[in-house]
Amino acid sequence: MVEFSPEVIETIIRASALLGAGFAMIAGIGPGIGQGYAAGKAVESVARDPEARGNIITTMLLGQAVAESTGIYSLVIAIVLIFTI
Amino acid sequence: MKEIKDPKKLQKKILKTTYLIALLPIISAIAAGDMESLLGFVFGLVVATLLLRLKYNNIIRALNMDMESAEKFIRNRYFAEYGLYFLVLFTAARNPSLNFLAAAVGLFMIKFTVLLLSVKDLLKDTFQSQFDRYK
Repeated sequence: MVEFSPEVIETIIRASALLGAGFAMIAGIGPGIGQGYAAGKAVESVARDPEARGNIITTMLLGQAVAESTGIYSLVIAIVLIFTI
Repeated sequence: MKEIKDPKKLQKKILKTTYLIALLPIISAIAAGDMESLLGFVFGLVVATLLLRLKYNNIIRALNMDMESAEKFIRNRYFAEYGLYFLVLFTAARNPSLNFLAAAVGLFMIKFTVLLLSVKDLLKDTFQSQFDRYK
């Protein structure tokens, strides 16, 4: 059986953590695309019904504020993986 | 919350509720004498407040554009904000006088408040409809 020295094991763990951080960052792309799509649809809605502008802005503000949470969760996980392991 | 049609009033209500809820961890951190957590939490909360205001300004700007430009604009702004979030979390992780997890919770406070207010509205609607049914 192959035995690894503690330095090699530590390097493997560190490399895996960095790889995991990179994979976690993929989750940051989704909210950006979704928010952009929602903004486009909001513009379309305001053009169709200008009186509903206030309502659309409030809905969009709430939606976008919550939608980006998942992206930040992944960022937190990535930073924890980078700095604590 | 859904009866508020004015975005500025909604923003004020969200921030007021967030600060009220934030008083609890702030007072707890002061009572426990945990200054790193207090500073981290306040740091995250202040940045989250500023980013909410930035988001509002971006939305107002986007609504005056055409559909494709608005889509591109909001997407690019999201990635710029993501960079700011990264800077905040990076600073909290590297600086020994700031607690990283407290900064992360501070950043999430506004989102938790929005979810909390939405759940409150949902429960209110559900109980109101049940009440109306039995009346």
